Formats: sequence, C-alpha cells, structure tokens
Amino acid sequence: MRPMRSMFHDRRRHDVPSLNVASMPDLIFTVLFFFMIVTHMRSDEVKVRLEVPAGSEVKKLMGHPAIVNIYIGRSERSEVRGERIPKVQEWTVQLNGEIVTPAEIPARISEIKGKLSPENAERLTVSLRADRRAPMGLVSDVKQALQQSYALKINYSATEINP
Amino acid sequence: MFCKRYRQQIPELNTTSTADISFMLLIFFLVTSSMDTDKGLLRQLAPPPIEHQQPQDVNKDFVVQVALDANDQLTCDGKAVTLQELQEAVTAMVQVNRTGHVVSVEADRATTYEAYFRMQDAIVGAYHSLREHYSQQHYGRPYHRLSGDERAIVNDYYPQRISESLHSQKGGAR
Repeated sequence: MRPMRSMFHDRRRHDVPSLNVASMPDLIFTVLFFFMIVTHMRSDEVKVRLEVPAGSEVKKLMGHPAIVNIYIGRSERSEVRGERIPKVQEWTVQLNGEIVTPAEIPARISEIKGKLSPENAERLTVSLRADRRAPMGLVSDVKQALQQSYALKINYSATEINP
Repeated sequence: MFCKRYRQQIPELNTTSTADISFMLLIFFLVTSSMDTDKGLLRQLAPPPIEHQQPQDVNKDFVVQVALDANDQLTCDGKAVTLQELQEAVTAMVQVNRTGHVVSVEADRATTYEAYFRMQDAIVGAYHSLREHYSQQHYGRPYHRLSGDERAIVNDYYPQRISESLHSQKGGAR
C-alpha cells in the first residue's frame, strides 16, 4: 500500500489548471487596432459591376476628404413592372451612392462643392472608376460633364502592373 | 484575525468575456471597412472652352496625332503603332521641341476604356521617363525623392502638353 502522502498528491493532480486568458483581450485589441488603421470605411455601395484597367504609371491617391467617386459599369435591370424579362446589362454611371445620368453630374458636383470648405472645393478630385470594357463615348460624356462643372482633377482609377 | 485577512483580499474580476466583446468589435470592423487603396492616373482636365474662342494655331511639325478607332487600333500620325512605339514617338517629339510640342489625342466613341487608359498610361510614361532622366542628371536623385519645389522645376522643364478632343470640341490638358 502506498503511503498516505502520495495519495493526496494524486488527488490534487486531477484538477485541471485553469488557463490564464487575461492577455487574450489585449491580443485581440492589437489585431483590432491594426485593422482600424490599415482599412478605411466603405463609403458607398457600388451598384454597378466593374473591373478597372491596369497601368504601369499609377500612383496612390491621397485620402483627403474632397474625393468624389464616379463608377462606370454594367448594371442589371431584371424587372420592369414585375414582368420577368431576361436580364439586360447596360452601362450605368454611379456618382458616390446613387445612379445618375451624365447630364445630372454638373448639378450633383456643384451640390457637393457647396458643402465643402473653399479650400477643399478647390482640391476636389474625381476618382473615375470605369470598367475596362466601357465605351469611350459614355466616359467622355462624363468627362465633359465634369469639365462643365469645373471638377478638373481626375484620377483614372487602375490597378498597378508590376514591372 | 482570520476573518480580517479574508476581507482584505480583492475578489478577482471575471474578464473571460472581454475577449468575446473585442472579437465582436474586430468582426464589425472587418465587415464594414475595405482594404482596397485607390490607385490611379491623376490627370488635369482643361477648363471648359469659352464661347467664340479662337483655337490656337500650332505648328503641324510638332504635333503627335494619336488616335484610337472603334476597334481599339492605336494610330500615331496615321500609322498603326504599338504602345511601346507610341511612347518612343512621344519621347522623340518632346526631345525635338520640349515646350512647343502637342500630343493630340482622339478617341472614337466605341473605343473601350481600357485601350484609352493604356494610351494615356503610355503617354504619361514617356513624360515620366524624361523627367526621371532630367532629375537624375541635375539632382542626382530619382524623381520621387525630389522636394516639391524641385519637382515643379522638373515639371516645368518637361511640360505635359496633351490636347484631348471630347466630341469634336478641342480642349487642352496639361
């Protein structure tokens, strides 16, 4: 028979030591802060489908507040008065969050400019994200509308090709 | 005496759920934020043309006529070219007449945006390599490491003179 002392010892071993999770929130907070710094809030929902072209001379656009996003892509309009018709894909222009026609752009731009401070209105940059298959006719309509509303800084959004 | 000692012990705070709370915050940020950085080619459009403005005359010898047709065929001065050849043609013209040349760009309405973008990219690439060369020669540093004033000097030395036509109306872009 075992001595008394070793019996007690065995019983103590049956308790599973609790894991110290005190530093777990700290770890997760670190990851959280990392994500908060490297990402930025999604400003608007993109309602059109697009794929930007690729170029070698692209530069990063500085994230100052005076940026207007214009998306040119295909949208799907599947329903007309509840009738089921085959999905028609047509080229659509979206300014920030809403779908617009090129003719409406000058009014929207001046509305946006009115809300900005004078120095930001001067720095207003339009980030033009157009699909690579978009026809130039539509793109130049948009460009002409921007020209009329004196939004002359344009960023042709693209992905970078690494040489 | 034993009783008193017990009272002085601070009860441990249960922090097991803090991890869950911060996980929820983390997931919220992952869902609502996006990581894509906005990269692109920054261009300046010309101001809208004033009524009855006389178009400026430029010497035909110093104009590079770049055009894109409906089938995305790139032509430079009437000849079909590749992007590489276009870049070389623009570089050559800038070296001939640094401040007086004009790159005239025309695109058909049926051209795809990608072809147009690549053409712009090639033209800007030609200017970039010239500016890079100048910067290396005069400052001994690559262009992206120059200060703001030095950049302005280099940009003025090799100005981008690109004229774009939007629907038959001619407008110059710098």
